[in-house]
Amino acid sequence: MRPFLCIAALVALVVLSLALGAASLSQDGGWLIWVSRLPRTAAALLAGAGLALAGVVVQQVVQNRLVEPSLTGTPEAAMLGLLAVTLIAPGMAVAGKMLVAAGSALAGMLGFLALADRVPRQDPMLLPIVGLVYGGILGATATWFAWSADLMQYLGTWRLGEFSGVVQGRYEWLWAVAALAALLYVVADRITILGLGETQARSLGLNYGRTRALGLIVVSMLTALVLVTVGVFPFVGLVAPNLISRWRGDNLRANLGVTALFGASLVLAADVLGRLIRYPYEIPAATVFAVFGAGVFLWLLHARPGRAHG
Amino acid sequence: MRTRLLAGLAALTLAAPVLAQDLTVETATGPVQVGANPETVAVFDIAALDTLTALGVPVAGVPNPVYLSSLSEVAAQAQAVGTLFEPDFEALAVMQPDLIVVGGRSSEQLGPVSDIAPAIDMTIWGDDLPGQARARIAAYGALFGKEAEAEALTADLDAKVAEARDAVAGKGSGLILLTNGGKISVYGAGSRFGWLHGEIGLPEAVDGLDAENHGQPVSFEFLAEHDPEWLLVIDRGAAIGAEGEAATATLDNPLVAKTTAAREGQIVYLDAAPLYIAAGGAGAMMHTLDQIIAAFGASEG
Repeated sequence: MRPFLCIAALVALVVLSLALGAASLSQDGGWLIWVSRLPRTAAALLAGAGLALAGVVVQQVVQNRLVEPSLTGTPEAAMLGLLAVTLIAPGMAVAGKMLVAAGSALAGMLGFLALADRVPRQDPMLLPIVGLVYGGILGATATWFAWSADLMQYLGTWRLGEFSGVVQGRYEWLWAVAALAALLYVVADRITILGLGETQARSLGLNYGRTRALGLIVVSMLTALVLVTVGVFPFVGLVAPNLISRWRGDNLRANLGVTALFGASLVLAADVLGRLIRYPYEIPAATVFAVFGAGVFLWLLHARPGRAHG
Repeated sequence: MRTRLLAGLAALTLAAPVLAQDLTVETATGPVQVGANPETVAVFDIAALDTLTALGVPVAGVPNPVYLSSLSEVAAQAQAVGTLFEPDFEALAVMQPDLIVVGGRSSEQLGPVSDIAPAIDMTIWGDDLPGQARARIAAYGALFGKEAEAEALTADLDAKVAEARDAVAGKGSGLILLTNGGKISVYGAGSRFGWLHGEIGLPEAVDGLDAENHGQPVSFEFLAEHDPEWLLVIDRGAAIGAEGEAATATLDNPLVAKTTAAREGQIVYLDAAPLYIAAGGAGAMMHTLDQIIAAFGASEG
């Protein structure tokens, strides 16, 4: 029954998103939906799904529920890579920029893992805090580079995820999220075993290093795709997997699709709200979501001890 | 209260001997007394540098970069004394200027630089930008003994404004648009670019845009819906020298293509630095007006 309700809510959101915009549908309605509303709706859904999935994988890799890509310095690392491209080879094709961003995101995440290995695990709160500090340092570095190269406004366009610029031809890279999601579904069981920790995973016959590398590459690519096309959305990767696992338990393969759909719905809902609040102007979807996400994050922190002991 | 009184008395005693050569200048922080005809001048505001250059006042210290290509010659002959936002205090201390001019992005530095030399804040801000620009021209004219040059410059500016008024009259409504890395925002008559509507009489394509300084973020659908006859485009990336996604690429999409402005070839790409960095500078304003005269003048209306 509940999954049915979720699907119904998602469908309602999609219809609302298609119906809502600064232009009226009375003239050329079909054309408008095709070039503007559908791309925007798809972009929000794909970005949300990608971020939620990236959150799931990161949480399994570091065995901590309170971590997500934006709490491991990954978007900041990707920004550093993008800034480097902008300074060194501004004319590079989008595919190249995307690859550089994914590569630097991966490097940033490896740095976080090196830190995570040295963080005591008794207190689950410690790791997200370390990640927050680490991301802050990378972000400050990016700011410094941008500041000295007069690229602050440029950095600003990534820092706040939103969909106002999305029209046909501006978001298609996000469809790669769907491909990565399919890949994750295939290896979902192995990713689950990752979450048991290295010793357990090895004794179950898993090639730990290779599986972990695969997971990290997928997360880097998801982060880079979303960052380059629409910008940073904090909390999605944290909120979606946590709420779903509280609701449905921890079967990763069974949850993967639901988590992706939930993340997609959350981001789309934030975008729809951002379009409504100051119609016909816009509030960035990331701003709307951050308000909601921060609240859920606080609730998760509060609820955490009860769960750990129970 | 008592300390303020004492400080006031002390200031009076100190100021009294030089009062004779002092001059009252209208600045952004109110009237300020400074010594007339300062010889060594350091400037941290591009609009001020632009207007001083137009008046033929030599400037010893400039920010780096100066952003405007028209000012690169002036910059080459002067010494760099910091950036638009931050003075290089050591360089200033060595230079010992007679006057420091701050404004806009550097206006917060008025206090710190005042410790080194007399400083004035010549910020140009708000919806009456041309009015303030004229007031600054007059103030500089009095301060540097260039009253005749100032009058001539104001007359040039007025003539240019009148020419632009004629050029846009009857050619339809326009919308001011700023592009930034693939996203757009729009600006109304009360905004920092609003003088393009008010001063030269270009009707607004969208009424009632908020007077917010940073513009309103909108989607491309907003453009399609309001269908402006003219689009005045400012590329923020180009203003700050960033080689990001160019405004032309941002606006190359089916929704913009549908507007009257695009169909009639009435999208005007205004040079961004004069509007964005040097807003209110005499040379910068005339450059923008020239661009508008050229674009609207070429149209049959």
